[in-house]
Amino acid sequence: MEKPLELSRYCVPFTPFKRKLEESLVCLVSTAGVRAKSDTPFVVEGDNSFKRIEGSLSASDLAVDDSHYDHGCIDKDVNCVFPIDRLRSLAREGRIGGLTEAHFSMAFSQALRELRESTIPQLARAVSSARPDAVLLTGG
Amino acid sequence: MVTVQRSIEMLGIATVLITVEPEESAQARPPRALCPRGFVVGHSLGRPNDEALQKRIVMDSLELLLADPKPGEVITRDYT
Repeated sequence: MEKPLELSRYCVPFTPFKRKLEESLVCLVSTAGVRAKSDTPFVVEGDNSFKRIEGSLSASDLAVDDSHYDHGCIDKDVNCVFPIDRLRSLAREGRIGGLTEAHFSMAFSQALRELRESTIPQLARAVSSARPDAVLLTGG
Repeated sequence: MVTVQRSIEMLGIATVLITVEPEESAQARPPRALCPRGFVVGHSLGRPNDEALQKRIVMDSLELLLADPKPGEVITRDYT
């Protein structure tokens, strides 16, 4: 049995967006090492897990675990990399439909094979389970 | 990051990435991506507590969902 085909990096997956933003639920996904303050920290030297962030939380309920970029801005305002309060404000203004009940973050890792084969497929399924109409991704 | 984005898009969900590393992101061929020019890792959405700017960048990125598709490209805009 041959291995299943993998998408070439020259091929770009593309799902058409058919909805109105005003009716769309948005899910935030980040690789910046964001988590709820009440959750256990990411291991900053390298962590292959991802964490679920409840949609009801505010930026002030979140922490960032990372030692690879400057945290001067995030320490003052997590919205700099994870704009959860800004999305909620846009929802109140009716410019987006709302936020999903869960958001997600990964953290720094160099175990690329495990990320590709395990963490990222699991994360993508978890994101799909949150039933977003659109996903906004942020790095650091 | 783009690998995560492409995996989610492959499940039939439209995605858009905000990146401050446009060359690296473009190499990985994102379905949709916005680069706010001049921002660096750690404040990809702009200055802390600048709600108006952060909301503008969020809306500009979400509006790429409605724009003419340019799969694989990173759209760079100025916010300074």
